[in-house]
Amino acid sequence: MPEHLSTKPPTIACIGCGAIAERYYLPALARHPSVLEKLILVDRDDARARAMADQFNVKRWVPDYHAALDEIDAAIVALPTNLHHPVSMDLLTRGVHVLCEKPLAESADKAREMVEAAGKAGVVLAANYQQRLFASFIKVKQLLDDGTLGKPRAITYRVGEVFAWPTVSGFYFNAQTSARGILRDRGAHVLDIICWWLGGKPTLIVSQNDSFGGSEAVACVQFEHDGCTGEVKLSWLSKFPCWYEVACERGAVEGDVYDYRSILLQTGSGRQRRLALPTREKLYTDIAYRIVGNFVRAVAGQEAPIVPGADVLNSIEFTDECYAAATRFDLPWYDIPEVQHGR
Amino acid sequence: MAANETFLITGASGFIGGWLVETLRLSGAADVRAGIRRWSSAVRLARFPVDIVACDVLDPEQIAQAMDGVTHVIHCVSGSPEAIVQGTANALEVAHKLGIRRFIHLSTTEVYGEPSGEVDETYTLQSFGNPYGDAKIEAEKLCWQYHDKGLPVTVIRPTIVYGPFSGTWTVYLARRLQSGQWSIFEGRGEGVCNLVYVADLVTGILLAARSDQAVGEAFNLSGPETLSWNDYFRRFNAALGLPELATKPPSRARLRSTVMVPVRMTARVVRDNFEAPVKRVAQRFRPAKKLMQVLEQFIVTTPRLSELSLYNRQATYVTHKAQDVLGYRPRYDVDAGLDLTVQWLRHVGLADEHNQPEQ
Repeated sequence: MPEHLSTKPPTIACIGCGAIAERYYLPALARHPSVLEKLILVDRDDARARAMADQFNVKRWVPDYHAALDEIDAAIVALPTNLHHPVSMDLLTRGVHVLCEKPLAESADKAREMVEAAGKAGVVLAANYQQRLFASFIKVKQLLDDGTLGKPRAITYRVGEVFAWPTVSGFYFNAQTSARGILRDRGAHVLDIICWWLGGKPTLIVSQNDSFGGSEAVACVQFEHDGCTGEVKLSWLSKFPCWYEVACERGAVEGDVYDYRSILLQTGSGRQRRLALPTREKLYTDIAYRIVGNFVRAVAGQEAPIVPGADVLNSIEFTDECYAAATRFDLPWYDIPEVQHGR
Repeated sequence: MAANETFLITGASGFIGGWLVETLRLSGAADVRAGIRRWSSAVRLARFPVDIVACDVLDPEQIAQAMDGVTHVIHCVSGSPEAIVQGTANALEVAHKLGIRRFIHLSTTEVYGEPSGEVDETYTLQSFGNPYGDAKIEAEKLCWQYHDKGLPVTVIRPTIVYGPFSGTWTVYLARRLQSGQWSIFEGRGEGVCNLVYVADLVTGILLAARSDQAVGEAFNLSGPETLSWNDYFRRFNAALGLPELATKPPSRARLRSTVMVPVRMTARVVRDNFEAPVKRVAQRFRPAKKLMQVLEQFIVTTPRLSELSLYNRQATYVTHKAQDVLGYRPRYDVDAGLDLTVQWLRHVGLADEHNQPEQ
């Protein structure tokens, strides 16, 4: 059931009709009929925009968002990462509310500019860090904030999933537009959640990845924050259970990253039990529906954005630090005769 | 090293294609272009600043664009029989039209059927009902037709290729071993396991690509030692630091594989036709997810009947010709290859006690 929108729905442009628009934003917008009615799709690939318009019953599409600037109140920026900053800045300075796909920007400096521009213009800048809506992660945050388990002592977070996102443009792997891989993509969520749990930006200890000048596919980050150490391991080359654990002074909590409806809780007695968490969001599209609905209501001034742009500055700054300090893993399997002879 | 060489690797997102791209890029020996079908498969290659191009071998226009300005083509496409046969036909046709200097076709020793004894390149190619092997036989026939038309073709027949990024003989087998359900197949696993570590294969392929004597020839490429399949399982298992494997009597192994035939078929039909709804059910209901995991684990840890047959095959694919003509000298014995393989598995989180698949 679409959530009630008490005011006149805004005119929104969905800028970019790639895979994230098709799989995430447009199915969510389709559940808000009054918003869908006025939605404008934007993509320079006319055939792609037309196909998306047909699939989701959108009446209008244009090749360039400038053609719709006079009409729109708000925009969803669903473009390749390198375009988040320039396009959002253009929109924000013109007084257009923005919901930007993660990561908010390529660097903390750019993200900060966006936050400042939104503040000056008095418009909403929301960021799609949808894992903040996971009931499991919210519960962990509560447990840490209310002191139930004592202070956190160690965090482990692992994500191993073979990259299979049906990227239309391939921007992830275009050296001209991006030389960043899994840490900026999957890591955007992971580092954001960790900064959120810890209530601040950790201090980097070690950052390693497997880049040879392109987008890394495996990354490992170790950090420390107020007596809590942590390790994040991310892989796009292999599938292993995506899993997190937060060990605290008086217990621990762990879970499957994508089973966001339960956690395993271990309290002081040492007994571990599964805690089922009530949530309305059964599927990913339900989360998208809530993010989009929240944005629409934030634009109308009815509620605050779930993840305002300013909230993710810590994690983007930490990501910058990880890239700046990164060294390559020892990868002895490339130490082969052909390579040695070539050198 | 010739500075004016540009290699196109078709099927570059695959195991061996990826290794060729990486090796050429890291050695700086030649310009390299990586031909892929889907952007989503570019993640491994994109770690390197290489030229990644769209090259669906079922699309002659894409092939022509990818081959423009290329001197050497190493054709590594695998996949469906159609992709192998029609894709090879398309690639050969475009290469011939463009006057490509060398065309290396990656085939397989499966083209020899189910032989026994020592098998060299003169052995007759035989179909034995394996769609992959049959498609490679057809593709080789096409290669020789184009060689007769003037395209300088070489065919490479690798044996069992293992090492970092290998799916079947590394990641999948490691998963089987880690499951605790894999075993030594008494009386059925004593066939010859002709292993070749992937870096040796890559070296052999590049030697062939640069040898004038290789034109119009086929070469077996295998490793420096042969062992039984049971030995391979034992040594891989030990390299992973796992408890010793149990021994399974031959009748039990065959019975379980036979029972699993209809289960596998049903699972395939479900996967091909109902993957999305099944995933949704698993996402909503924990018992359903658990059941699917148990079933998948059971399928993974049961060898197919064709695998049991392979583990029993008494054939040694000899590489005298590659040694004599190309100067091929494989360097990695099984222990050395497995050591690097396990280091890679650890690196990608597949040999880490915290990351074992759920039981």
